[in-house]
Amino acid sequence: MSNTLRPYLNAVRQTLTAAMCLENFSSQVAERHNKPEVEVRASKEVLLNPVVISRNDKERVLIETSVNSLRVSIAIKQADEIERILAHKFTRFLTQRAESFVILRRKPIEGYDISFLITNAHTEQMYKHKLVDFIIQFMEEVDKEISEMKLSLNARARIVSESYLSQT
Amino acid sequence: MSDSPIVNEFNQGPISCHAFNGDRTELAICFNTNVVSIFRKSGASWTQTSTLVEHDKPVTSIDWAPKSNRIVTCSQDRNAYVWTLDGASHQWKPTLVLLRINRAATFVRWSPEEDKFAVASGSRCISVCYFEEDNDWWVGKHIKKPIRSTVLSIDWHPNNVLLAAGCADMKARVFSAFIKGIDKKPAPSPWGEKLPFNTLCGEFSNGAGGWIHGVAFSPSGESLVFTGHDSTITVVSPGTGDIQSIRAPYLPYLSVIWLNENQIVAAGHDCAPHLFELKGQQWAFSASLDAAVKKADVGFTARDTFRRMDSRAQSTTSTDTEVHTHHQNTINSIRSFSGTPEHVEQFSTSAIDGKLIIWNADSISRGLGNLHL
Amino acid sequence: MAFRKIDIDALEEDAFGEDEIDFQEIGELRPVADVDAQVNSRAQEVSGNTSGALSTSLQNPPYGAPFHAAKARNTQTVMEVLNSIKVSDVPQLVKSLSPEEQDVLMKYLYAGMATPEQNNSGHLLAWHEKLTEVAGQGCIVRVITDRRTV
Repeated sequence: MSNTLRPYLNAVRQTLTAAMCLENFSSQVAERHNKPEVEVRASKEVLLNPVVISRNDKERVLIETSVNSLRVSIAIKQADEIERILAHKFTRFLTQRAESFVILRRKPIEGYDISFLITNAHTEQMYKHKLVDFIIQFMEEVDKEISEMKLSLNARARIVSESYLSQT
Repeated sequence: MSDSPIVNEFNQGPISCHAFNGDRTELAICFNTNVVSIFRKSGASWTQTSTLVEHDKPVTSIDWAPKSNRIVTCSQDRNAYVWTLDGASHQWKPTLVLLRINRAATFVRWSPEEDKFAVASGSRCISVCYFEEDNDWWVGKHIKKPIRSTVLSIDWHPNNVLLAAGCADMKARVFSAFIKGIDKKPAPSPWGEKLPFNTLCGEFSNGAGGWIHGVAFSPSGESLVFTGHDSTITVVSPGTGDIQSIRAPYLPYLSVIWLNENQIVAAGHDCAPHLFELKGQQWAFSASLDAAVKKADVGFTARDTFRRMDSRAQSTTSTDTEVHTHHQNTINSIRSFSGTPEHVEQFSTSAIDGKLIIWNADSISRGLGNLHL
Repeated sequence: MAFRKIDIDALEEDAFGEDEIDFQEIGELRPVADVDAQVNSRAQEVSGNTSGALSTSLQNPPYGAPFHAAKARNTQTVMEVLNSIKVSDVPQLVKSLSPEEQDVLMKYLYAGMATPEQNNSGHLLAWHEKLTEVAGQGCIVRVITDRRTV
């Protein structure tokens, strides 16, 4: 199963680099405004085709891009109920409380667990190749985090139940 | 002339646009703000001499007329200004320009004779401006039909009348910008004969669609090259009816210039200028002009590993990507620096990483010559 | 207050409609029956024959909005061909394709990955890696930019 991880991450990396070709573009709809076109979706000609990269039917990445902004949505692997709850709590914490996480979108897109919104302002302040590196690292680590949390949850549950049941 | 490119780092933020004056001693540059800074060359570096403050939204494009020494700037605040140097006070004074557009201006260029300039805008039109003596302002005439979306870039034909425009509606077009009273009738060219204002002389698109980011006429005006977001560049020669599209396996190019009739340099999201050459009758990609300078020390020695663990808390070997070109981020503008339009010797590129680099075209072609069998 | 329900920007005459953009790149749309017939006959051709099957299946894809059934059928055909080719043969097969065919193949790879329940994503990812090595990121950019979707 893990032999698809490297090709999956490589495919995501290549597609992200190709999609992250952003430039400053003033709104055509509202004068003196500069909005992320992928969110506004007002002018059809500045939006590009969304692409999906999937590893299996549980893990997918949706990349939607436009002339000045890009939206990456990730569906995290959730094998059982516990992992589903943990992933939900983890992403909720990030979207609600992580304020310096500027590229994070506060609500994930339908069907996915977490979304990033990257605009031309972000690619001007930060290097594009570093942003791509970051997202790939995030994808790798979120899986590790969820499994770690699950292990510690199970460990704690075992300790609690042992001490409770040994009390007679 | 040294062979390696001259790197100028300003460290003031991403460069949105730049323009040199006629003798290349002064530089007008905008760091993604409302203000344009003028620098003067002192030795090997540039010192700031003045600032042009008038716009209230980021300046999108600057052009400096080499002979008449006037600067035109345009910005996302729907305005453009023409700046003239006041001899007595050495201050740049703005003159009002009536563009009459209701969206941001994206690109501006002086015509070869410097009696008019064209401004591309997001209001789906191009404003061709000329000076009106009576009111002491610049007035614009609009080229509207059949543009369907924001115009991203423009280039003038050497005859001062024809104008090429690259647009976000996936088309590159050639218009006539003939202004009665300012222009004399142009000689017939492969683009057309009787050419009243707003005549469409040609409409072209790349095979696979994609916004047209950069357009450029060849030095003779016989051909037009344009580059699209689908990573292709297309060369059109209406005289011979030849249209060639080259698909590049690289990221899209934002800006393009001709070095001479047989060589084109394009630069964009790949952070390096790429050379395209005409071999026989076929245009093809030749080489990247930024031979990637691989860092010598890429060692995964034990010392490096511990240093990494200490400074960056990374316990595994670093999988960080390094970009090995001189520019670290997208190049958004490429302009000729020295030489004639028929034989460009040096060109300058400015990028979002805040660097302005001047490249030598000659040394590169000599180097490439050594590669040929 | 009825005027507030009108989407004024859509009514602006110069703006692009969805179908207009497609039309620009594709040109005249062929009648649906024709396209269906072509796609079905291609499916037959391809099922028997392995050599050249890849190239054949990538010719003349049914671009255009009204051809949903044809697109689905053609995608299925291409997926079958891809699945029948061994991973070791992939690199030289990819090199033998023309640049146009490489672009079309990349489009089908993404189309296939969009429905992971029906297609073997692992195999498609292996194809993706090999194709990117040959065709570069420009190929991916063209999939994202090209309005002619499969």
